[in-house]
Amino acid sequence: MVDTTMQPRTVTSTAPPRYAGWIGRTVNSALYRNTIGLLASNRWVRLAVLAGVPLIWIAALHLGPILQMANISFLANYPPRPGVDSGYTLENYGFFFSDRLYFMPFVRSLIFAAVVTVSTLVIVYPVAYYVAKVVKPKNRMRALLLLLIPFWAGELIRTFSVIMLLANRGAVNVLLRELGFIDRPIPMLYTFFSLSFGVVYLLALYMLLPLYSAIEKIPTPLIHAASDLGAGPFQRFRRVILPLSKDGIVSGCSLVYLTTIGVFAAPLLLGGPNAVIFPEVIATLFHGSNDKWPEGAAFSMLMLAVSLTTVGLFMRIVGGRSVRLM
Amino acid sequence: MKTYFNDLPKTALGASYWLFAVYLVLPLSLMMVMSLKDANFIAFPINSWTLDWYAKVLQDRQFINASLYSIGIALATTVCATIIGVWIALLISAENIWGKAAIFALACLPAVVPGLINAISMRIFIRALDIPTGTFAIVLAHTVHAVPFVVIMVLTRLRSMPANLVDAARDLGADPFIAFLRVTIPYLMPALIGGMIFCVLTSIDDFVRTFFLGGYQPTLPMLIFAKVQGGMSPEINAMATIVLIVTTIVGLYAEYFTRRSRS
Repeated sequence: MVDTTMQPRTVTSTAPPRYAGWIGRTVNSALYRNTIGLLASNRWVRLAVLAGVPLIWIAALHLGPILQMANISFLANYPPRPGVDSGYTLENYGFFFSDRLYFMPFVRSLIFAAVVTVSTLVIVYPVAYYVAKVVKPKNRMRALLLLLIPFWAGELIRTFSVIMLLANRGAVNVLLRELGFIDRPIPMLYTFFSLSFGVVYLLALYMLLPLYSAIEKIPTPLIHAASDLGAGPFQRFRRVILPLSKDGIVSGCSLVYLTTIGVFAAPLLLGGPNAVIFPEVIATLFHGSNDKWPEGAAFSMLMLAVSLTTVGLFMRIVGGRSVRLM
Repeated sequence: MKTYFNDLPKTALGASYWLFAVYLVLPLSLMMVMSLKDANFIAFPINSWTLDWYAKVLQDRQFINASLYSIGIALATTVCATIIGVWIALLISAENIWGKAAIFALACLPAVVPGLINAISMRIFIRALDIPTGTFAIVLAHTVHAVPFVVIMVLTRLRSMPANLVDAARDLGADPFIAFLRVTIPYLMPALIGGMIFCVLTSIDDFVRTFFLGGYQPTLPMLIFAKVQGGMSPEINAMATIVLIVTTIVGLYAEYFTRRSRS
């Protein structure tokens, strides 16, 4: 019989406690008591129970897919077929630089993400400042909630709703025509404008929340002090508020940038043939008749490397040691 | 004159807030209004109104099946992600574990990798393991995506937990498992509920992972996507409006719950 008592700390009684219901039945079963005894007696078993599942999960499913993708990106052929060379090669990466058809959407994607990030920052900053500093504390939650509600609607539905606004017979065009400003509709949908509009619409929340929590932490007396010392609104903003909200700016921009790079449904619905960005290019390599997985994997690796490097550099340069992504 | 200049920034800020609120709400309200249009194409202006589209959607087998399928995937994802997320959070919060920062960084990796790359790497991964595309693959990908958020939420809550709570339980004779079950879990409950609702909503909402990993049975976003691509009628608006209302209610409840438990 294994000694089932726990190492007592201050307790003198070693009698097992009684529990009712299923807990009681479990606790009194031999299997359970043996397990607990083993746990108490052996440090390594304790460690294995605590760390086993998490470490295996992280290694297999957080790292595994990325590593497998990296592996495939260097293969000449995948899946391996008999009679075809399937050794390691750098050709898939060369393929990317060889054709403007692949290279241009990539550059476009990076520029697009930068533009979206900056526009979101400019649009959302005053809003976050207003909620964090101007609105009275007791109304603050309500003011924030009003902005949060649309974000529960989900990516696809919000993307779809942008079509209602921008289509040729959408609200904007019909309104302008009724008012007599235009004779024929302005084509807004399926352009870079509609795509940016939609993506900013999708991602504004990722900017709003970090900015809000950063600005809210700025002590209001500091702003008043600057004002008393003669700083005008612009100077107050530039020398006090902006530096102190840096953390929020950095994490908001990083989140929006990374999400924009990987945005997929919006370009399919809102972008047209003139607004092809890189995710669509990658997707066609995995779907469709000519599946070129090694090339697709190489392109994905490039995109991942470039986007993470950009964000890393951005964090390093702008500073903000205590950047949290959430 | 002086007060006018002092108030000017404040007025401008207020205006920016309300403009932003209109920007957020306007497309969605237009979409909802369009669902009441009595014609089988989407265009303004709306001259006559009807509720027929709703009746049609609610009788649509495809819509109901897709909803049930999505909900099932979301629930399975939530269960898996919560168990694994809590486990990882417990490991990170444990004392004297070597390399905590690295474990935490790797645990958060799927939240930082752009969604499309996440989906593609998962697609490659399941092919390497010979797992077919379909329900299991979707649940796996959704779980991987949701775990980091559960980890972060649970860790935040664990940090605020008085360390001596578990010690007290142990002193009173509870073994580690009982202490975990009766002290740690109840303390974590607000974070768990918040995390679970988050998992459900992100899973139901997810498009890109399902697009690459899904089988022939469409989830709700896939169904809406297919309908949007194949000719639009106000039926899609009615469908989207129903989904919107349900998810918003769930989301608001989560918001309310986590706020109440925080104060």
